[in-house]
Amino acid sequence: MRKVALVGAGVGKFGVRKATYRDLIWEAGKACFDSVPALKPRDIEGLVVGSVMPERTAFQSHISSLAAEALGIRPSALSARTEHMCASGTVGLRYAYAFIAAGLADLVMVLGVEKLTQPTAEEAILNMGAGVDREWEAAFGLTAPPCFALAAQRHMARYGTTEEQLALVGVKNHTHAAKNPNAHFNKGATLDQVLCSRMISSPLRLFMCSPITDGAAAVIVAGEERARALTDTPVWIRGTGQALDGFQLTSLPEDYAHWPALERTAQRAYRMAGITPRDVDVAEVHDCFAIAELIAYEELGFCPKGEAGAFVAAGRSDYGGDVVVNPRGGLIGCGHPLGATGVAQAAEIFVQLRDEAGARQVPGASIGLTHNNSGMGEHVVMIYGREAP
Amino acid sequence: MSYFRAIDPFPLESPDWNKLGEFYARLGQGRLSTTRCAGCGRTAWPPRAFCPECCSDRFDWVDLPSEGTVHAFTVQETGLPAGFDGPRIFAIVKVHGHRVFSIIVEGDPGRITLGQRVSLKPLRIADDPKGNPRWLPAFTPV
Repeated sequence: MRKVALVGAGVGKFGVRKATYRDLIWEAGKACFDSVPALKPRDIEGLVVGSVMPERTAFQSHISSLAAEALGIRPSALSARTEHMCASGTVGLRYAYAFIAAGLADLVMVLGVEKLTQPTAEEAILNMGAGVDREWEAAFGLTAPPCFALAAQRHMARYGTTEEQLALVGVKNHTHAAKNPNAHFNKGATLDQVLCSRMISSPLRLFMCSPITDGAAAVIVAGEERARALTDTPVWIRGTGQALDGFQLTSLPEDYAHWPALERTAQRAYRMAGITPRDVDVAEVHDCFAIAELIAYEELGFCPKGEAGAFVAAGRSDYGGDVVVNPRGGLIGCGHPLGATGVAQAAEIFVQLRDEAGARQVPGASIGLTHNNSGMGEHVVMIYGREAP
Repeated sequence: MSYFRAIDPFPLESPDWNKLGEFYARLGQGRLSTTRCAGCGRTAWPPRAFCPECCSDRFDWVDLPSEGTVHAFTVQETGLPAGFDGPRIFAIVKVHGHRVFSIIVEGDPGRITLGQRVSLKPLRIADDPKGNPRWLPAFTPV
């Protein structure tokens, strides 16, 4: 297989945006092309767009072609949309990776875009129910918060994880987001604010949850020769994995605090990259809810099973700790525009490994990891490095 | 032209449109049922028209007990989808060894406990577009 690297990345402003679906695509495209001045849209051979529900929120299908036209890309090797709920962006990146590694394309843009806040807040939440099983779950009014609430309850009962430890994830990620001008929230949050925010689904409070957000992000992926010609500092894809435990809540293992699919996909990605969890300097993990970040520490091997609460409380997932988790502010601080999230995670690792992250820079970061999930049962991991594989 | 907005958040339950139509027909009579594979005899939850073990698409309907126990639950207070009221008690109910996802109706959210016995309480929801009644398998405290 050929070696593959990121050579460009850009993120638009996340938030409740007075902007159309196409506006968001333009913003992310502009930011991405600005990061690699040697490239013009006409140079790009392939486009993969991660987007979950434009049919509901923008009344729009045929997404990859719309984005290609908006940005002036004329795909000759690959054009596709990936819909895989919350992990759509990273699934798109894996397609680009595979096409380039196999020699079927050389230069591919992966763009993630979601216009979620249309037309009303209540309807936006109704739309989110499309991500769980319509007939056996969503018809009852189920969306993500009660699912992750069950995981949080179980983790608290089994390991003694506290509400304060869950809240500390919210404090950390809101604090990080204050240094990210593209984040949905920029004000930070104190422990009191998180613990006093309104209850969504016990024990998950508002500031422990990612909000409904509009946003877009894009990266450009290249084969080795092209990457080296375009930049002195490509960010190499070193490993990747994806695994599924189940779709419906009742198909998952009974212990909702244990996510075997994440453990499996992480092990696969680490093996492929030839590294261990200790080697990871910076990680973007899928904190759709605070409990998800805690369980991710454990399944990714940053700490032993059951010890994630103590890990965050000791500052071991923050600057100066073992691994800086979610320096851009995570989903809790940046918001979670479904298809855009995985691509924005990759874009953060791109700037971190090139020492271009400014106030958010993790000093000396040379190995980065992203974790993107779709519900508790499906997980995708990417590992990036400054050094070629 | 007026602004048009519409979505049907419930499944098509009629046997004309759904291989699992018999499940809903029985549910409307107060019975909880599921499929047993005619190829290998495995009983599934939720019911299904294809067996991943033996690849058979033949199945029989079997009734399940109408009582179960609360295996896990959470109360969602805010952030519910349009048309769904809170607080809403989501629960996983153990019925005859199966984990059944459902809601608990006519119960005090503050008094639900793990292990509590609940019984089937079919919930009438919006009629389908042809005017046929539709039901979901909800539970209520015994």
